[in-house]
Amino acid sequence: MSILPWLISAYLFAVGIYGIATSRNYVHQIGCLSVCQSATYIFLLAIGYRWGSGPPIYYDHPPGTPAVDPVVQALVLTDIVVGAAVTALLLAIALQVHKRRGTLDPQKLRPLRPVP
Amino acid sequence: MSLAATLLPVTILAPLGVAMLLIILARSLPPQVSTLIAVVAAAAVTAISFWLARQTMHGPVLHWLGGWTPAASGRPGVILGISLMADPASAAVAAFCGLIFVAAMIFAWGYFDEVHSHFEILMLLFLAGMVGFCFTHDLFDLFVWFELMSTVAFALTAYPLGRSSLEGAFNFTITNALASFMMLAAVGLLYARTGTLDFTQMNEDIGRQGSDPALVCGFCLLSAALLTKAAIAPFHMWLSDAHAVAPSPVSVVFSGVMVSVALFVLAKLISQIFSHGDATPLRFALLWLGAVTAAVGGLMAWSQRHLKRLLAFSTIAHMGIMLTGIATTTPTALAGFLLYIVGHGLIKGALFMIAGILLALRASGDEIMLYGKGRSLWPAGSAMAAGGLLLGGLPIGILHGATELIQTATTRAASLVILVATALTGAAVLRAAARIFLRWSGAPGLEFSAPTEREHEKGGRPLWLMLPPCLFMLALALIPGRSVDSFLAVATGWLAHPDSYHAITLPKPKLSAASFDSIALTFAILGLSLCRERATSAWARRLFRAEALPVDALQSLHSGLIGDYVVWMMLGLALLTGFFGLRQFGF
Repeated sequence: MSILPWLISAYLFAVGIYGIATSRNYVHQIGCLSVCQSATYIFLLAIGYRWGSGPPIYYDHPPGTPAVDPVVQALVLTDIVVGAAVTALLLAIALQVHKRRGTLDPQKLRPLRPVP
Repeated sequence: MSLAATLLPVTILAPLGVAMLLIILARSLPPQVSTLIAVVAAAAVTAISFWLARQTMHGPVLHWLGGWTPAASGRPGVILGISLMADPASAAVAAFCGLIFVAAMIFAWGYFDEVHSHFEILMLLFLAGMVGFCFTHDLFDLFVWFELMSTVAFALTAYPLGRSSLEGAFNFTITNALASFMMLAAVGLLYARTGTLDFTQMNEDIGRQGSDPALVCGFCLLSAALLTKAAIAPFHMWLSDAHAVAPSPVSVVFSGVMVSVALFVLAKLISQIFSHGDATPLRFALLWLGAVTAAVGGLMAWSQRHLKRLLAFSTIAHMGIMLTGIATTTPTALAGFLLYIVGHGLIKGALFMIAGILLALRASGDEIMLYGKGRSLWPAGSAMAAGGLLLGGLPIGILHGATELIQTATTRAASLVILVATALTGAAVLRAAARIFLRWSGAPGLEFSAPTEREHEKGGRPLWLMLPPCLFMLALALIPGRSVDSFLAVATGWLAHPDSYHAITLPKPKLSAASFDSIALTFAILGLSLCRERATSAWARRLFRAEALPVDALQSLHSGLIGDYVVWMMLGLALLTGFFGLRQFGF
């Protein structure tokens, strides 16, 4: 198993976090969150991958043919669905914030704090 | 299959099914009818879960979804199915969730009439997620319920579409979405090492192969995710934003059950999956996290003026106290923790309802702006005083019984922290009550410069409709905590060792002079604040400045900026991983 997918996953997570921590725009932060999420996809797929084996579909293969692990793929699929819902919700919030406040800068938008 | 095993999935399916039904009928049903249907559904969940708690006292009940029992895989030792497991503790916590939902939805009667029962639908989905979270016996299933619970909570927070609620919901969503990514990575790591997602089998596998870096990493990620949900420092920053800005019926559910359910699941996972090996490092780490959280939460609650924000920080302090209970890993402390969930949830729920009543009838949630405006609402005032006294450690009721159990089991230093945090939060609530309902006030101290906002909630709802659920919860909280000892001992026994039950004996409750420590300290702090005067002399000014220094530093850490929160979370994760990693390699 190559170490490359783990490195890519760690790198993606780190840049995503860096983006959320330093960004001055809500929409950009939402994008960064999706980058963090992609890191978990790669991480999970790397866990389930087996060299030289096919997809876990057996209708034209005899049972026992080596295949990659379908469980982690199911995990990833579920997470993609949830991720889409969360991203949509966040974008809706960002839209409403912009309508009310005319800005998307987190420095100017703090809950319960007066507008500076 | 026994009746209990058959009914187990109904606790999740009933709220899900009714929510679907309400979506279809949303536009044709009058709002009162859909509220009534939702309340009945939540009450049904409570009743079934309560019955399950009684039924499972002789042993946990398993339900294999779709009939995929371990035998169905055809290979010994391979589990393909997903199971739900009801043990007395999980069923009791699920029943308690249902109860809080019933109270919150009755409290919200008439609040969300314009929005075609969307509030009820979201609440039922929330309940289904929470009950599933309590009952699941499969790690991936746990993640799914965690996600369902979080996503619905995000939507409910943003619901009023007001200024602060949108921003609070944004912070809440980003931090908790990151927590769920951590949980997913943890599920992947643990699955990679053990090849299974079932709790029991995973526990056996971990016992067989011993500790290993991937497992340590998995455990750290999993606990970081649950600690984020449970608002334990340094993962706690989102809570004060989200709970302060969510509509008050939603805050009742958030503070009453959502956060403590996350801690309950953490305790369950520790005793059912990670029960092997040396527990000393775990005890050490959780004890410190709990103590720091309790201290930070107590101090911050004391220096707030926005009622809901004050209560939110008090929830953080109580989560810290609960974590010290888990950290002790003795059955007595675990029993205390279970009791604490109920006691704290009842009182905190009731207090959030009082805040909601003030927001609806007096159009403000700020103790200084509300000064003296609550005099004609004396029933609410007495309820708030009762809640504050119970929170501050009055030696009656469930919460006191629970605190006593935790304190007897933990170290002296930890029980001192518990004492101070309890007194600070109790005094903060009593101070606000004295100002709003009695016009008693000293010169405002540290709380004067705390963040606040002008806001209000939908008025026109009569007091007699909003007060009964609140009074009902306070009345339940007054039940002597140790009257359920026999159930508690059995529940703790099954929670700690689901496969090898040991009977547990709890220490006898005793009322001594020490039981009054906490309430005495509460009154001392309250008295100091109510007698406070303006600084007129040079030394008084110096004293006040010195007093403000640590609190101002803490206030500025809770900046409301999502970037800061994320950095704190990563710092917490690095601390956890670093600590357990070093212990792993024998340092």
